[in-house]
Amino acid sequence: MKIYIALTVASLKMYFRNKQALFWALFFPMLIMIIFGMMNFEKYNSPKVGIYDAANNDASQALIQALGGTSDEELLSISTGTLDELHRELEFGSSRAVIEIPANYGIPGEFSEIKFTYDERFQQERAVIATILEKVTDAVFKEAAQVPDEYRAENSIAISDSVITGQGQGFKAWLIPGVAAMAIMQTGLFTVVFTLVRFKSQGVLRRLKATPIGAAHFLAGQLTTKAIVVVLQTYVLIIVGAIALGVSVGGGRLGAWFDLSILALLGGTLFIAIGLAVSGWAKNEETAAPLANIITMPMMFLSGVFFPLSVMPDWLTRWSQYLPLTYLADGMRAITVEGASIMTLGSELIGLGIWIVISCSIAIKMFRWE
Amino acid sequence: MTTAIDPVIVAKDLRKKYGDITAVNGISFEVHRGEVFGMLGPNGAGKTTTIEILEGMRDADSGDAIINGINVKDDPTAVKAIIGVQLQQNAFFDNLKLSEIVDLYAKLYLTNVDPVEILSRVGLDKRKNGKFAELSGGQKQRLSIAVALVNNPVVLFLDEPTTGLDPQARRQLWELVRKIQAGGATIMLTTHYMEEAEELCDRIAVVENGEIIALDTPDALIDQLIATGFKPKKRVREATLDDVFLNLTGRDLRD
Repeated sequence: MKIYIALTVASLKMYFRNKQALFWALFFPMLIMIIFGMMNFEKYNSPKVGIYDAANNDASQALIQALGGTSDEELLSISTGTLDELHRELEFGSSRAVIEIPANYGIPGEFSEIKFTYDERFQQERAVIATILEKVTDAVFKEAAQVPDEYRAENSIAISDSVITGQGQGFKAWLIPGVAAMAIMQTGLFTVVFTLVRFKSQGVLRRLKATPIGAAHFLAGQLTTKAIVVVLQTYVLIIVGAIALGVSVGGGRLGAWFDLSILALLGGTLFIAIGLAVSGWAKNEETAAPLANIITMPMMFLSGVFFPLSVMPDWLTRWSQYLPLTYLADGMRAITVEGASIMTLGSELIGLGIWIVISCSIAIKMFRWE
Repeated sequence: MTTAIDPVIVAKDLRKKYGDITAVNGISFEVHRGEVFGMLGPNGAGKTTTIEILEGMRDADSGDAIINGINVKDDPTAVKAIIGVQLQQNAFFDNLKLSEIVDLYAKLYLTNVDPVEILSRVGLDKRKNGKFAELSGGQKQRLSIAVALVNNPVVLFLDEPTTGLDPQARRQLWELVRKIQAGGATIMLTTHYMEEAEELCDRIAVVENGEIIALDTPDALIDQLIATGFKPKKRVREATLDDVFLNLTGRDLRD
């Protein structure tokens, strides 16, 4: 009995001193519960619609505002841009319809024809958008003060349909680049953390300190190796994913692979630097692993890797859009499924750039040989 | 090898504190070219801290450490480039072959060596494709000496090179140290084993509480003690238990 109690007490002590075990036993399941609990798969997701406003007058702006709905009740999620851009978004499935407001819209006495282009594969969303468009145009035009009775909406506006068959490839295609981005994060962070912390606790780094090399040499070497690994891994994941799930990459554009390499390099650098910072801070694997998990786990769910950010509450996505993985996943998705090129990525590149600067400076500050 | 300036190692009033504990409390000595200089003392006496200050691994609170005319404080990188270092705990990358480890370290000093030749100097050429983790204690120590030799150092620092080794491996290491000395290097080592100090060192410094309490050749120190009228408790016999052990188990290395 004495032996039994002694062993039990000792092993309880050991268990509660092991931060890793506590993380997996408590923090991780709690995180999953909270995050999945916040997701709302039934909520009305306002369809994404591109609006091209050739009129650009008070009436057309009133129309666009009305189509967008109120902040309490969003009707359509509107993006603007050139007609080409909007049509490409529709083509690659990142929006569901394009609405063109003609130049003579809202001018009294003129008959204007609103062009409504949709992807025939998404009939349900087409129906929702068309209904909203009809009701709103009706209401807006009737309310506009200067409109005399004889020019009522039914006399002056027509909606003409036009159909395309887009290349948008649905959830499967949406999933692949996100998972590849997540893999960049995992490889970048964990391989660096585990190798470096092991080197540190074994004394490999201390032995290196006795040579004339500087920390920068060593860190640059680590960064380059892991960056190469990350790019190769991205190729393999996307190729295998594309073949297995039967989706095309970048609409078959060869340059998409080059763009993906650049993004993988940027993302790799970013997460490797975070890994270097973590391993600089941590004294051993026991402290490094929970910290690395606390950094990566929330991003896995909050950066729109497995589920679109639209299922998350708005207050959360307002913050999670700035997460490093969000920028990387969005960028890679834009290139693989939306047919964008790296030149057209703005906020993603800026976001990644800022995070790289932040994480590299922390990594250099935190680095210790022993 | 860079031409050695004499004295090769100069320690001038080195001091180092860790919090309230004084590890090194005003240590001064000089080591001449081609000497094997030993530092003896109990655990915590300040041997390792002193040697690590000389190696540029730790900063002294005050005092000067000068290696071959270069003050470690002013240019630690230049000092590291001309010394070879065996730390008390040595670890190397575990997924590289021994020959690759030697080659890598040579390149860190911007030189090229024949890894097999270096490994053969420490008797590890047959293990050139082995991994560090697979080596025995004695082999690990020998590998770390091999790595310390890649830059053909002016001074070789060995911190407790034979601690934890069996008598065979210890004797093999002594031979290695003598060979390196014959090659022209100056060697500074620390040890707990008096027999080792007597066997290898031209001069020894005995350290206690961060201070040198005796510094001379082993013979002179023994003579000084005898001159005080000292008598050993046990009559010295013709052979020691060490000799018995080696006679029973043979002098060959177990690897």
